[in-house]
Amino acid sequence: MKKKIALLMACAMTATALAGCGGGSGSGETTAAAGGSGETTVAASGSGGGTAAGGLALTMCWWGNQVRNERTQAALDKYAELNPGVTIEGQFSEWSDYWNKLATSAAGQAIPDIVQMDYMYLDQYAKSGLLVDLQPYIDSGALDVSEISENTMASGTVDGGVYAIAAGINSPALLYNKTLLDENGITVKDNMTMDEFFALSKEIYEKTGVKTDISYGTVNSWSEYFMRSYDIVPFGDKCMNGDETSWIPFFAMYTKGLSEGWMLSPDVFAEIAIGSVEQCPMVYSSTPETQSWCALSNSNQMTAMQNAAPEGMTVGITTWPAPDPVKSGYLKSSQFFSVGAHSKNVDEAVKVLDYLINSSDANNILLGERGIPAPADIAAEVAPQLSDIDQQVTAFINDVVTPNCSPINPPQPDGASEVYDLLNRTVEKVCYGQLDETAAAAEFFTEANKIMATK
Amino acid sequence: MGMKEKRIIGKVIYHVLVCGIGLIMIYPLVWMVMSSFKKTETIFTTAGQLFPTPFVLENYANGWKGFAKITFATFFKNSLFVSIIATIGTLISSALVAYGLSRCKFLGRRVLFVAMLLSMMLPAQVLMIPQYLWYQKLGWVGSFKPLIIPYFFAIQGFFVYQIMNFIDGIPRELDEAAKIDGCSYYGIFGRVILPLISPALITCTIFSFMWRWDDFLSALLYINESAKYPVSLALKLFSDPGSSSDYGAMFAMASLSILPAVVMFICLQKYLVEGISTSGLKG
Amino acid sequence: MNKKKNLTFRQWMGQEHIAGVVFCMPFIIGFLLFMIVPMGISLYYSFCDYNILTPAVFTGAANYIKMFTDDEVFWQTIGVTFYFALVSVPLRLIFALLVAMLLLKTTKATGFYRAAYYLPSIIGGSVAVAVLWRRMWATDGVINTLLGSIGIKTSFAWLGNTKTAIWMLIILAVWQFGSSMLIFLSSLKQIPSSLYEASTVDGANKWSQFWKITLPLLTPTIFFNLVMQMINGFLAFTQCFIITKGKPLNSTLFYTVYMYQQSFEFYNTGYGAALAWVMLLIISLITLVLFATKKLWVYEGGL
Repeated sequence: MKKKIALLMACAMTATALAGCGGGSGSGETTAAAGGSGETTVAASGSGGGTAAGGLALTMCWWGNQVRNERTQAALDKYAELNPGVTIEGQFSEWSDYWNKLATSAAGQAIPDIVQMDYMYLDQYAKSGLLVDLQPYIDSGALDVSEISENTMASGTVDGGVYAIAAGINSPALLYNKTLLDENGITVKDNMTMDEFFALSKEIYEKTGVKTDISYGTVNSWSEYFMRSYDIVPFGDKCMNGDETSWIPFFAMYTKGLSEGWMLSPDVFAEIAIGSVEQCPMVYSSTPETQSWCALSNSNQMTAMQNAAPEGMTVGITTWPAPDPVKSGYLKSSQFFSVGAHSKNVDEAVKVLDYLINSSDANNILLGERGIPAPADIAAEVAPQLSDIDQQVTAFINDVVTPNCSPINPPQPDGASEVYDLLNRTVEKVCYGQLDETAAAAEFFTEANKIMATK
Repeated sequence: MGMKEKRIIGKVIYHVLVCGIGLIMIYPLVWMVMSSFKKTETIFTTAGQLFPTPFVLENYANGWKGFAKITFATFFKNSLFVSIIATIGTLISSALVAYGLSRCKFLGRRVLFVAMLLSMMLPAQVLMIPQYLWYQKLGWVGSFKPLIIPYFFAIQGFFVYQIMNFIDGIPRELDEAAKIDGCSYYGIFGRVILPLISPALITCTIFSFMWRWDDFLSALLYINESAKYPVSLALKLFSDPGSSSDYGAMFAMASLSILPAVVMFICLQKYLVEGISTSGLKG
Repeated sequence: MNKKKNLTFRQWMGQEHIAGVVFCMPFIIGFLLFMIVPMGISLYYSFCDYNILTPAVFTGAANYIKMFTDDEVFWQTIGVTFYFALVSVPLRLIFALLVAMLLLKTTKATGFYRAAYYLPSIIGGSVAVAVLWRRMWATDGVINTLLGSIGIKTSFAWLGNTKTAIWMLIILAVWQFGSSMLIFLSSLKQIPSSLYEASTVDGANKWSQFWKITLPLLTPTIFFNLVMQMINGFLAFTQCFIITKGKPLNSTLFYTVYMYQQSFEFYNTGYGAALAWVMLLIISLITLVLFATKKLWVYEGGL
C-alpha cells in the first residue's frame, strides 16, 4: 500500500515535469539552448499585446506610492471606459524593484507597452533599442506635444529621437526649516551663491548649533548641478570631461564644511536610510548636532517633507545654492512616459500616452502627482485644484526657477551609476578625513575615466 | 537550605533569565506592532518611545485598502495559496529524496548529494535573469507556476539535507527489523521512517512556510498582474523614496503579515519536541 | 537490465539501487529542469560582457582577470565577508544551542519562550528591523543612553565607525538564531531519555551528561547547522542591504551586495555573474574542508 503511494507520488511528479516541458514547447519555442546570449525571441507570455476577449489588452508599469498607484490606475480605467474594447493593466512596483523587473523583462524581450522612465536610465534604455522613437507619431499628429516647451521636449530626446515624454515638471529645490530660521531672524534668499550659502550655514551653526546637510551618499544630481557652474558636463563619450583638477571645488566644499564644523557628520548618515524623505536629517533627527536646517531635495518632495516634519515646523523652499546659480539651475522632468519596443500595439500605446499627457480626463484624476503637467494648457487647468503646498511649488517653479535656468544636461550614459557610486565613496573618504580635496579630485577623475573607458 | 527551596530558587532564576532575555529578543517585534498604532508621521520622531500616544487605528484602515482597489485580503489570499501549496510540495518531495539519499545505496548518490549542496551555494540574485529567461521559455511567466511547481521537486537542498540528517539519527536496526517482516524500501519509508521524522517535518513546515511567505523576488519577476501580488511584494509598495512613503500603513500590514507564521509556530511548536523519544528508538 | 528480465516489476522496483533512484527522482528531475539551465546560463554570462539590456558578448576570462588584478573593492568585500561569516556563524550556533538546551525543559511558559526566541527570525529582513536597528545604535540611541546610565557617557557612533559597524550586523545575525535553535530542539528530543536515565543511575551529574551524552549525539546536527550556516553566512545579503549598504567606507560591504550592485545597479551583469561563481568556489572549498574534518568530531554511530 505505502509502496504504491510512494510510487504514485514519484510518478505524479514525473508527469507534472513532463507536462511542464510540453507547455514550454507549446509556446512555439524550441526549449533547447537558451544560450544566454540574450537573443531569446519573444515568448508568448510577457508583455500584453494579446487580444483579450476580442479587444486590445495593454500593460503599463510604473513605480510610486499608494496615491500614485490609485490615481494612475483610475486614469487607465477611465481610458478603458472611454475606449470600449481596450483594457490596460497597471503593474506597479517599488522604485528599486521596478528597475530590476524592467531590466529582467528587457532581457526577456517583454517590456510592457507603456513604461514610466527616469532620466537616469533613459539613455541606456533608448540606446539599447528598448524604447520606441515617438518622433513619427508626433509628425503624424497621433501624439500632441504642441503645448510642451522645447526645453522639456529636449530632455526626452536621445540621439535625435524622442523616446520619452515628460510626465511632470519639477526642479531641484532646497527645502529648509523655515520655523528655525524665522525664530533666529535669519532669512534665505533665492538663487544663493555658494559663498552666501557657506556664510548662512556658518551663521545658523553659530546661533543654533544646527548643522548643514550638503548631501552625502546621494550626490548624483547635486554634483552635476554644482559642476554646471563650471561649464562641465561630467560625462563625455567613453570618458569624463574636465581634468584632474576640475572637481577640486566640489570636494573643497566638504573639507570646508568639515573644518568649519557646520557640516553634518557622516556618522549621522550611517543611522538613517539615505534618500528617504521621512528619515532625512532635516525632519528626522532630534538633537542639533544630528540635525540639518536644510535638505538638497526636489520641488515635488515638498509635500512629503512637510508631512514628515515634526509638528510646528514649516518647510520653506528655495533654489539649490551654486557657484553660479543661473548656469546651474534647470527644470527637469520628474519622470517620463515611454512606449516599450516590444509592444505589439504601438499605435494604441501612443494613444494612451497622448491621453495621459494631454487629456483633461486623465489629468483631473492624476492631479499633478508626478509634478506639474508638461503641457501648458493642462498645467493651467489643473493648477486651481492643487493643494496649497503644490500651488506654492508651482509658483516657485514658474516665478523663481524658470526665469533663472538653462537647459538640463543630456541624459547620463551607461557607466554613470558606477561613476556616481565612486563619487559617493570618494566624498565619504573626504568626510572621514582620508583624502584632501586635491587628492580626491585626482583619484576620482582617474578612476571614473577608467570606468567610462570600458563602456 | 533544603532541596525544595533550592529547586524553587533555581526555577525562579531560570524564569527570570529566560524571560528577560526573551523580552530583549522580542522587543523589535513589539516595537513594530506598537509603531503601527502611532500616527504615521510620528513613527520616526517618536522611535525612542514604545507606547503610542495617541493610539490610532487609521494605519490599519489605510493599509488594508491596498492599492488601486486591490485590498490586502487579495494579497493575503495569494500568499496563503502559494505558501501552503509550495510548502506541501517541499515536504513531500524533500522527505522522499532525503530517504533515498540517506538509506539507499545506488550509483550516483554522491553526485546527487554534491549537486544538491552546490545548488545552495550560488547567490539567488545571480540566477534571477537566467531563471526568468528559462521560465519564459517554459511559458510560465505571469502565473503562479514558477512560485509553486519547482518546490515539488525538492529544489531546496536545505530541507533535503535537514531531513537526511534526522533520518541518519534513526537506528538502522529498525529498518532491518521491518525488512525481516517483509517490508520493501517503500514500506519502510511509509511505516517506519515517516512517523519518526515528524519533528523534522514540522521544523521544515515552519521554515518553508515562512520563507515562501517572505519571498518577494520570484513574485516580483514572475507575477505581472497586481491582483496576483503576494503580501511580501505588496508591503514594499508603501514606500517610494522619490516621493512620500506611508510607514504607518506599512508597519500595520507588516504586523498583520507575520500573524500566519506566528500562529503556525505556536500551534506546531509543541509537536516539535513531543513524543519522539519513544521506546521504539531504544534499538 | 536484460539479465534481470526474470524479475517481476515489483521485485525490480524493490531493489535497493532502483528504490534509491525512484526516491530521488523528484530532485533529479527538479535539478535538470529548474537548476541546471539557469546555472549554465549564469556561468556563460560570467565569461561575457553583459549589461542585461543588450545581448551578451563573449569576452573569455576578462571578468575573472579584472576581478583578481584590478578590483580593490573585490578584495575588501572578501575580507568583510570572511570576517562576518567566521565570527557570526559560531556565535549564532553557540547561542542557538544554549537556548535550545534552556528551552528543552517543558514548563507552562515554554511555548511562550520558544516563540519569543524564534520570532525575531520571522521579521528578519523587514524595514522595521532596519529602522529600529539603526535607531538603537544611533549616537543618541538606546544603547548609548544605557551606557550613560551606568556612568559611561558617550555619543559613540556605532554605525559610523569603520571598526564597529560590522559588529552591528554580526549582532543582528546572531540575534536571529531561531532557525538553528529549532533544529537543535528537534534533534535534542531525538536523544532517547533512556540514555539519561541510565547515566543518572550511574551517578552522572547534568554537566557530565551534557558533555558525555548530549553533545556527542548532537554532533551530526551541529555539523549540519555548521555547514548550512556557513553557506548562509558567506551568502549573507539582507543585513548589509537593508541597514548599511556597505557604509562606512565599504567596511560592511558584503560580497553578495557588491555582486548585486555590479549586476543590477551598474549593469555589469557579466562581472556580477563571475563574482557569484568565484563565491561558489570559495564556499565549496570551505564546505569540502568541513566535510574532511567530519570524521574527526562527528559521531556517526547511530544510537
